[in-house]
Amino acid sequence: MRRAPFALLLLAGLSLPSLAKADLVYVLNSGDASITVLESTTREEVRRIPILREVHHLLLNPERTELVVGDSAANELLFLNPDTAEIVRRERISNPYHMDYSPDGKYLVITSLRRDQVDIYEAATRTLLARLKVPDKPSHLAFSPDSRMVYVTLQGARRLMAIDLTTRRPTWTTEVGPQPAGVLWHRDRLLVGIMGSDQVAVVNPADGKLERGIQTARGAHTVFASPNGGPLYATSRVDSRLTVLDPETLEVKARWELPGGPDCIAFAPDGKLWVTLRWVARVAVVDPATGEAETIPVGRSPHGVFVQPRQLPLPPAPVPVVEAPATPVMVPGVVPAALR
Amino acid sequence: MIEDTYAAFTGWLFEHTLQPVLYATGMMDWAEDLFAWLDFALRGLFGILVVYFVCRPLEAWRPVEPRQDGAAIRTDMVYTFLSRLGVLPLVAFVLLASLQSRWEGWLTEVGVMPPTLEELFPPLRDHPLLALVAYVIVLDFGEYWRHRAQHGFRWWWALHAIHHAQRQMTFWTDDRNHVLDDVLAALWFGGLALLIGVPPGQFPLILLLLRLAESLSHANVRLSYGRVGERLLVSPRFHRLHHGELSAGASGKNYAVLLPIWDWIFGTADFRRDHYPPTGAADAGEAMERGGWLRQQWAGFQRLALTIARRA
Repeated sequence: MRRAPFALLLLAGLSLPSLAKADLVYVLNSGDASITVLESTTREEVRRIPILREVHHLLLNPERTELVVGDSAANELLFLNPDTAEIVRRERISNPYHMDYSPDGKYLVITSLRRDQVDIYEAATRTLLARLKVPDKPSHLAFSPDSRMVYVTLQGARRLMAIDLTTRRPTWTTEVGPQPAGVLWHRDRLLVGIMGSDQVAVVNPADGKLERGIQTARGAHTVFASPNGGPLYATSRVDSRLTVLDPETLEVKARWELPGGPDCIAFAPDGKLWVTLRWVARVAVVDPATGEAETIPVGRSPHGVFVQPRQLPLPPAPVPVVEAPATPVMVPGVVPAALR
Repeated sequence: MIEDTYAAFTGWLFEHTLQPVLYATGMMDWAEDLFAWLDFALRGLFGILVVYFVCRPLEAWRPVEPRQDGAAIRTDMVYTFLSRLGVLPLVAFVLLASLQSRWEGWLTEVGVMPPTLEELFPPLRDHPLLALVAYVIVLDFGEYWRHRAQHGFRWWWALHAIHHAQRQMTFWTDDRNHVLDDVLAALWFGGLALLIGVPPGQFPLILLLLRLAESLSHANVRLSYGRVGERLLVSPRFHRLHHGELSAGASGKNYAVLLPIWDWIFGTADFRRDHYPPTGAADAGEAMERGGWLRQQWAGFQRLALTIARRA
């Protein structure tokens, strides 16, 4: 009988693998009209969800019950159950490129890169409250923590724009550098990836003053903050590099080569970074302790990525998985060759 | 495996050739577009190879007429490379991107959001391949009527005559079009897209086969698809009859691009299976027939201007 506790411990130990995390990783394949769903433990593709045209960004709704995916070219929002990877419903909406909910959950703001518009919706009902015509290529956005302001990069206009959500009008625009892409609110400052340079711009959100630049690598794209105040990670698409920044001082702590055009990052509960590699149809899993990475094939031109914590593996798909091969991406505005 | 290798190759090519140029010239906001173009161009190149290796042996096997005019064929090759490698589409895209952005923005502001066929017919959502077939049918119907308009309006024929001026028709002739005619085709397609959206592009093999069928229809080969096949898919025989000299102007036959059913329905079909007329447009003129790419383009502009001036 004395051995019973040991036996129980042993049994618990043996059963550990079945309790291992089986997080779901959603990767938006912007180039082949599909969403790849990977299981984080096995690294295997467990679903391939066909969508209509071109998906770029995704996020959880404020209630954290639905994963919202924007299909920009199809003018559609998809709402998925993040636990089961099932599409719950779809809604018509104008050209959703980048989007986010305000921290108070009141607004959903969507940028339309192709139509030079920033749309402010009531989050709960998706009622359009205001549509702002803005200069060339509104790309990414970030909110102030009090949900009063939203900041939008204008990729074709070298600028960052601040929009007051109360008046729904711009309060300032400031020149930040060539082709600004991602923007992040971080400790009372805005960090903007300047894609036409090797800098991340530090901007004062109060007046739009450009305070300084942090050298990362050429093609600086977006900065992502790891959970719980951990390091910041900046992606650079020309030099294909991840730059680790100290969250306090913004000093560069490390530089990791990551070939393939690193773009968006999602943080897994185990601390690993899932990074989409835009030009090589792969997603990288980066160990933040060492910077070492393994890569997994996904669809063409992977962009947005999201990790949903999950304990047990996803059961097999109820219907055959639709394989979506790689796409010849049409040059927009031009008649598809085969259909002329 | 093939997909992964292809992705690695295109990624490497983009990262080491195109992206550094974009960065150096301050055009990084065009990165995604140029990456898409690279894909378009590589697949276009592959498409040309496939078409060549299918059509050329057929032309050697049972030619309708001997290959005598190498210069005219080489001009058609220029058209093919400019079109299928995406050179002209890329130029058009760069020139028209801002216009397109304003147009789409304006449409959204006035409350117009082009639907998709899948939205109009929800069952198509679960069958992407079927959705593509539906798009092909609708767009081919649109192409039939565009083609009739190209022959029916004198000013449009002034441009389209370039396509018909070729007396040494081969599979390379498919892309022989005036640039303005291509722009009109894009606008026509844009109008249709407002009604039904743009087709999905995730089936490259299907698109390649469609392209092959179109090129083959211009091939210099004595080939008919048989009594039933001739009514299902445009054959070299069917389309050659359209390119016959008498078809110039408004009195042509066999306008369909892919599906002959439209000619059947609208009374413009000619299913004579043994008829392979000489090709060409009687009123095209020497520049359109024998000129190089630039000369033909210029002749098209001149002829268009003259036609409009005569009407005024």
